Amino acid sequence: MKTSLNRRRFLQAGAASGLVLATPGIVRAATFPERNINVIIPTAEGGGADRNFRAFTSVWKEKLGTEFEPGYYPGASGRVGYEVYMGKSEPDCYNLIFGNMGPEVLNWAMQEPSFAIDDYFYFGRVDTDPCCLFVGAESPLQSMEDIVNASKERKLTVGTSRMAHPASIGILALGEKLGIEFNLIPLQGGKGTIAGAVTGEVDFSVLTSGSVIAAGDSVKTLLVFGKNRVGEALDNAPDINDAYDMTLPEMLSARAFAIHRKAAEDHPDRYEVLTSTFKETFEDPALLKAYVAESGTPEYLNYGGAEECAEFMAAMLELGARYKPLLSGA
Amino acid sequence: MSTKPRDGRRALGAELIIPVLAVVFTLYFFSSIWHSPWTAKVSAFMVGGILLLVCAIFFIRCALWIREGSGTLGFGTLFSRDDIATGRIGLFATTVGYCVLIGYLGFTLTTFLFLALSMIILAKGRNIGFITLISAVMALGGWAVFIWAFDTRFPRGWFETTMKAVLSNG
Amino acid sequence: MGDTAYLLFDVFLDTISFWWVIIPTIFLGLIVGGIPGFSAANTIIILMPLTLAMGLDTGLIFMVTLYCAARMGAGIPAILVNIPGTAGAAATPLDGYPMARQGKGQQALAISFVSSCIGGLLTTIMALALMPVLARVGFYMHSVEMIVVMLFGISLIASIAAQDMVKGLIAGFLGLMIGSIGTDVVYATPRATFGFLELYDGVPLIPALVGLFAVSEAFVIIEKTVIVNESAEPKKPSWHDTFEGVNIALSRWWHIVWTSIIGLVIGVIPGAGASIASFVAYQQSRAFSDTPEKYGTGHPEGLIAPESANNGVTSGTLVPLLVLGIPGGATAAIMLVVMQYHGVSFGPSLFEHSPRVGYGMFMAMAVSYLLMIFTILPLSRYMSHVTTVPTIYLAPMIIAFTLVGAFVPREYMFDMYLALAFGVLGYIARRTGYHVAAILIGVILGPLLETYFLRSLKKSDGDIMVLFSSTLGNILWVALIVSLVLPIWFDMRRKRRREVPAE
Repeated sequence: MKTSLNRRRFLQAGAASGLVLATPGIVRAATFPERNINVIIPTAEGGGADRNFRAFTSVWKEKLGTEFEPGYYPGASGRVGYEVYMGKSEPDCYNLIFGNMGPEVLNWAMQEPSFAIDDYFYFGRVDTDPCCLFVGAESPLQSMEDIVNASKERKLTVGTSRMAHPASIGILALGEKLGIEFNLIPLQGGKGTIAGAVTGEVDFSVLTSGSVIAAGDSVKTLLVFGKNRVGEALDNAPDINDAYDMTLPEMLSARAFAIHRKAAEDHPDRYEVLTSTFKETFEDPALLKAYVAESGTPEYLNYGGAEECAEFMAAMLELGARYKPLLSGA
Repeated sequence: MSTKPRDGRRALGAELIIPVLAVVFTLYFFSSIWHSPWTAKVSAFMVGGILLLVCAIFFIRCALWIREGSGTLGFGTLFSRDDIATGRIGLFATTVGYCVLIGYLGFTLTTFLFLALSMIILAKGRNIGFITLISAVMALGGWAVFIWAFDTRFPRGWFETTMKAVLSNG
Repeated sequence: MGDTAYLLFDVFLDTISFWWVIIPTIFLGLIVGGIPGFSAANTIIILMPLTLAMGLDTGLIFMVTLYCAARMGAGIPAILVNIPGTAGAAATPLDGYPMARQGKGQQALAISFVSSCIGGLLTTIMALALMPVLARVGFYMHSVEMIVVMLFGISLIASIAAQDMVKGLIAGFLGLMIGSIGTDVVYATPRATFGFLELYDGVPLIPALVGLFAVSEAFVIIEKTVIVNESAEPKKPSWHDTFEGVNIALSRWWHIVWTSIIGLVIGVIPGAGASIASFVAYQQSRAFSDTPEKYGTGHPEGLIAPESANNGVTSGTLVPLLVLGIPGGATAAIMLVVMQYHGVSFGPSLFEHSPRVGYGMFMAMAVSYLLMIFTILPLSRYMSHVTTVPTIYLAPMIIAFTLVGAFVPREYMFDMYLALAFGVLGYIARRTGYHVAAILIGVILGPLLETYFLRSLKKSDGDIMVLFSSTLGNILWVALIVSLVLPIWFDMRRKRRREVPAE
């Protein structure tokens, strides 16, 4: 992190004195961790993942008794970060990666990375943010019914942040169910996707709901590709599975910490410390506070261990393979 | 067209470097998208096609000039003896060295060495004291801004680790 | 109406009382704007803990001032040493640097400062007054229309190439081809990346920018003892040049007005940015000039156009941010984050719920521009001394400074090598009569053009006629053709009058 030195010193001093001594986790941590944990973030500094990371680690570091040092490696939809992690970071439990299980795993289904996908795994899910479908406030389409009717006359254009994204799968699955063909238009990121729907570049858009909530009343949400845990903030839009009697797994942006499989196998004791303190973090009310302070949506905080993550990853890989022709043009 | 041979014959060899690079690069580009979906190809083939065309026109023009005798395949405009005299070759070597060595020696030390060495080469060995001084000031300034204050990921070397130890003890 | 006027006045007084934030921030902004690789956006991120710790008012004024000042700062090295610090300043050296070489660096800086400040101030006031109308621009400028806007900028390649059309086109299209490196914007298939993941997102702009312009320039200037041409008469340091610059800029006030409006209109389109605006403004300025042949040789209007336009963009980006809640660029996106942290939500309801914040941002911008002109104009006299530093010291510093700058935005060593590679390409191009500016326009605008082009094609399922499917788009097409043909016609007429036989 490119903090100013003052902040960093302050944090270090803080960690070194009061916090460390006061935390119960320190008893176990006498052997691990002995130094800071490096975390690779495969997106840009100042982005959503970054804020999420800061909020979560501000509490986790107290349980673990050490600092987290993020390193930002944006590029190629997260590929650069993972390649750096798998290629250059030591598998010793002192190096983690904080990624987004939805779009990033979907990437592997489109084009395999240079390492074996099984060589790393997600062990700690921080939050789940379901994708949703929304229209611009001034769009002539103001309900799902409008959309279904309009699509009988022409092929509607749908903005998405990029093709290989859970939101795209959500809308394709809906189209399959209703027998409608949608024309997905990638609009390069969340900002563009919202702007596209608002200005009428596309008929409507699909995106992770956190960014849609942030857009406020310039957009209106019509459908959530998962549970609507926030109600009013997403205009009380219904769950796609309830509304259309489907059994689609939740289409999520799900931020999670991952680790080299080798590290967890070679150092089971260290891995144990990481997972147990990770879980403890969720029991601390301070987490909710930190999360809200970084303008996260507290309803989306959602603990998940290695098992839940593996399940989600498998589902993403399977859906990715199924929709690959539509998402990659191959 | 205004392109007339300047005094003497035009050194077309040098002028051909860019078009030849362009053609090679375009062909490489095409080879990389041969099996891609249409979205990857459309504008690349359009732009690349025009580029190949204008390069072809230029090649034909050059061939004609050479036949006429108003151009040669020389590289006179690009390389000359002056390049060694002015220190350009030396500066280029130090620049490449800078990029290569920064990974081993760290940001501050390499910057200092690069600045000092290049200036000495360009100044042909004059003012060595002054050059060392301003190189040191610049390198330290860079260290203060990029490493100490903003903590960027510039390669760390001996100087940075020492300073870190000194600062954390002090 | 009276209420609004009162509120505006009140906010104005309030903003002025923050001079102690604004003035130091102006200097910070000038510095970070001038270092290639740094920008208002990443400075705010770096200083995020500080920004968040400030109150809402202070934080807002800090960010807005930094944004304006960084934009202005980017022009300084662009003029003096041919290093555009950001893509938005890429058109500035076209005429700014030749002026500096003629020994008019001080004058060029003054022109740049005055046109930036007036352009910025004027567009801020216009944005404030016309906000509801301007916010609609984005509703009409979709991908098809943006294709034509891009072509306005790209057609500059042809103008620059006028002396030797074939070589100019080779340079321009090579640039466009280099700009196409990276994944395609629809299906994300990698293209011509040489196997480097670092190139998946396309050629990073700062390394290309500093490599082509600055690194190659450093290898050229060592032939001379100083940047300023020997033919330029040596001057005694005085304020005279600054006043002359101010005069030149003021006497061309109309030029400032309309080029800054181009910036404003392009700025309010979400996603478009300062680089497009400054190229389009430069192209338009040249197309309607009586003396198009002077552009590129140190013509004041060629400096005024991009500088007033890119500052027009600065105020323009506030409009979609405040009215629609859509950040138009990287800096605006970060402002959004900081404001949300303070519990202010942008969007249509902003002016209902917290009008002071909305007006406050415009006011902060207006006041920054106002204070900026007084704080930085005097600096022009001292800054311009850079051009008289012996090149034996300057050239290595430029190289180190720019290679370092290439590294900063993404922190990849790869980008340093890339800047060096572009430096070599730029040097060969300069030496053999290819325009680096033409290559650069291709590299900057090529990917944007392709994005809009593919988006349109994808929307129409591959029907090329979509390019002519919108009324506004068709009007713009006609305007494009007119702006390309008119100068030729003017030129022919002028030549006929002078009875000089056409070539």
